[in-house]
Amino acid sequence: MADSFTLPLRPVIEKRDRPDSLPRDIAQINAQWGSFRELSEASLREKIEADKNKDPWAEEDEVEKETADLDTSERKEQLYKRRAEIIQFALQAHMEASFALDFVSLLLSKHNPRQAETSMSPFLKTAAPLGSLNSEIINPPPRPDTALKDIKSVSRGWRLQNFNSAASKLLNAGTRLDTEVDAEKDYWDQVLAIKEKGWKVCRLPRDGQALGVQYGFLEATPIFRDRGLAALRRADDGKLVLDKGLIPRKAQGVRVRIKQQDRISGCSKVCRPSQDAESIESRILQARDTLFEEELFHEMMREARILGNQGVTTRQNLVTIPVSEEQEILLDLVDWDQDHALEEAGFSSEQNDLADAISHSIRILLTFAHRQNLRRRTQPPPPLAPKRRPTLEYQILRPVMAYLQHKSHIQWLETYIAKLRRVLEAAGIRCDFNATQFSSIGVLQPSHLVPKVESLVGVFLAPFESTFSGTLITPQSSFRVRIRTNPTIPPVGTFYDISVNLPQFPDVQPLSRVGLQEEVAQAITHFVMLDIAAAISLQNQEGSGKVSWEVAYPHHGELLAVDTAGQSKKMKVSLSHEELNIQTYSLSRAEGFANPVAAKSSLLSYTWNPDTPGPQPSLADFVAQASQT
Amino acid sequence: MHELLLFASVPAHQHHELLQQLAGLTAMQPRHRLERRLVFKAHRKPGLSNARGGTNQGADIVRLNKMLNGGMYYTQVVGPISEPDFETQPSSSGDPDAPMSGTDETAGSSYDYDSQPWKLEFRDIPEAGTRSTITARLAASATLPKGDIVTPMNAWGYSFVTEYVVEGDAFIHNDIVIFLHRVLQYPIHGQEPHEPRRQLPSFRDMSPLERSGSYILQAAITVQDGSNQELMRTASQHLFGLREQLKSAVRLEHADRLSLDTRAK
Repeated sequence: MADSFTLPLRPVIEKRDRPDSLPRDIAQINAQWGSFRELSEASLREKIEADKNKDPWAEEDEVEKETADLDTSERKEQLYKRRAEIIQFALQAHMEASFALDFVSLLLSKHNPRQAETSMSPFLKTAAPLGSLNSEIINPPPRPDTALKDIKSVSRGWRLQNFNSAASKLLNAGTRLDTEVDAEKDYWDQVLAIKEKGWKVCRLPRDGQALGVQYGFLEATPIFRDRGLAALRRADDGKLVLDKGLIPRKAQGVRVRIKQQDRISGCSKVCRPSQDAESIESRILQARDTLFEEELFHEMMREARILGNQGVTTRQNLVTIPVSEEQEILLDLVDWDQDHALEEAGFSSEQNDLADAISHSIRILLTFAHRQNLRRRTQPPPPLAPKRRPTLEYQILRPVMAYLQHKSHIQWLETYIAKLRRVLEAAGIRCDFNATQFSSIGVLQPSHLVPKVESLVGVFLAPFESTFSGTLITPQSSFRVRIRTNPTIPPVGTFYDISVNLPQFPDVQPLSRVGLQEEVAQAITHFVMLDIAAAISLQNQEGSGKVSWEVAYPHHGELLAVDTAGQSKKMKVSLSHEELNIQTYSLSRAEGFANPVAAKSSLLSYTWNPDTPGPQPSLADFVAQASQT
Repeated sequence: MHELLLFASVPAHQHHELLQQLAGLTAMQPRHRLERRLVFKAHRKPGLSNARGGTNQGADIVRLNKMLNGGMYYTQVVGPISEPDFETQPSSSGDPDAPMSGTDETAGSSYDYDSQPWKLEFRDIPEAGTRSTITARLAASATLPKGDIVTPMNAWGYSFVTEYVVEGDAFIHNDIVIFLHRVLQYPIHGQEPHEPRRQLPSFRDMSPLERSGSYILQAAITVQDGSNQELMRTASQHLFGLREQLKSAVRLEHADRLSLDTRAK
């Protein structure tokens, strides 16, 4: 459209032939410089430079400089004089203005007496009656031709100038509109691009003129939810600017570190900002991620405060979670671009996988909490009551802690049982152990009410449970250890339930809710020791012509045997996770109980240790040997 | 428990648009609701009113009489149903739209009347005067046994009057439940049955009570303790806030008090 019809806006300036220009220039130079010879390019340049550098106030400074030389009394005098002069000038000006006012007032009083009267001086009022002066238009004398020509050319010049300025104003406005249109087009194209990528673009609630993009999470805590909206403003050149208000621009994130014996042994991966950091999309993404991370840290802090009783400590920007005696998890909020240097500071990275796993799980748990919020929000609300529903802390740290705690307990029990097993195997005892770790996980009840993802996470919020079971030496005897860790509902922590099936000792009761590892270890060793004692007594019944052992004090691991000669012998079984020791003593029936120490004399003794090299006799062999009379 | 309400009438052509607007406002998808509503009327049990006791129990008896005979109300028994419940495919040659009670015509029907959960909803006549810009009324609800509800209701002194179906979408906006619904009537063939239907007709045969197909928008907020003035004020302010937000779409107003009269005369 612009090409179809162009209208010249500037007035066409005719090139005037100037036949007299040279003589006039020469005359001007003569008048200005005296002689033509004194004018050279160098001198002109000097003059221009001098004019440029000249301070417009220089003359006054010079005057001041002069006055500075005078002493104070003279200065004072001069000051008064100047002041008097100023006042005099002012008075004179005032007087003349009053005269002029009076004159005009008197003139006007002919036509508009009331209004003119107000501006007349009292003296004039008394001296001259109102309306005593009149004016009339008279024909001016005809102006000379030269003056008319001057006026004509001046007005022509004025008009030309005005046309020129109007034209340039219009043209400026045109170009400005052009750039403005381009900028708007750019802006809207970018806004549309954002919208097409699926971001929610809306009007800002406070500022109805501006557009905003919503990148926050609707189900987040209100302070974070409301921050998830940034204005899409237009820079002068049409670039889209994401105006996030007062939020820091740096990308932040939660970092997970593992501390093993006062040494950082693992750090979660740093989520680096994408290469295309300047595109608006990536900036929105970064804003969203930072918001999410900040919320995550906020919620973890909130949760950490109620977990003080479980050893979780908080600093201003750090949450420390103890996992076991030597392991700690450190969680802090860092700028993503800042911790590169720290990373290179050289800590080992053997537990990076664990740190990454934790950092993923806490994020999954936060989004799960968001989903729960949505679920809660869309349920019919309970009746309004004076007590507001408290906002519960999200479960972010607790499931992680419970999982790690459970895992460390499982590992401990596994190694303990493995040690015990080696001891037993050294003595030629076969026993089977099997473990079902995290039996609570993996049981996923499908439900059409809850989406699969949510029920999957829900499993990790339920108490964790693992079972260890094993068969013992005597037939039908077995034991079973159930480990349960409860993340939320008190009593929190890990508990062991030990159930045992010993047909030989029907009065042995299972233990439940044991919290200490030492107690569990003692109980398991005790049950195994009881079983060994029972097995020895059972083995003996097969043999003939030998003494037969009978369990006398099972909880002390003592067995008694009486041989044909009436000599009684005692066998003592002691078991720990390092070794199995069996000793036999002979003791006389008469004084056996009265003075056991004196009566004892060790006959046979053997200690099975898994670390002993070479073949070792089996328990059965030893018992057979001990049974020989 | 008190209930504060505002209502608006929504013409059928605005229904879809309003659904979208409400979904945007409440940031949730609509929850579709289908409810069977049975209307019961309280009736006086003969013989209770002329019970006379000794003089020392007089006051108690008077109070009991007043409770039993003072106000008689209509109450509703509400049962949630779903759309598949309507898909009745009777294999017999009987009339599908006349599910008479007693004719055990369960073949092909997915609707099981005997496991239908019920809830009793009692609503008082809205309070007069004080809050003229909002409808406030006493409300109470209780869970009832499943299945046949007429027998226990009769035992409690209520007789079945009629039934209808409410179809609509619910939104939750903070404490406010927004329910955009309409009333559907069962197709009538001959005489209206005197008991709740054991089978549901096809959903297409249900006809809206309002012939133009318009909907009712109901914004409700419940308050635990109606005597707590502070809470009642907060609740009505919430409702007024919603009214302001929806001003450009619909005009929420209080309902005529007498049109919500539940007293049995």
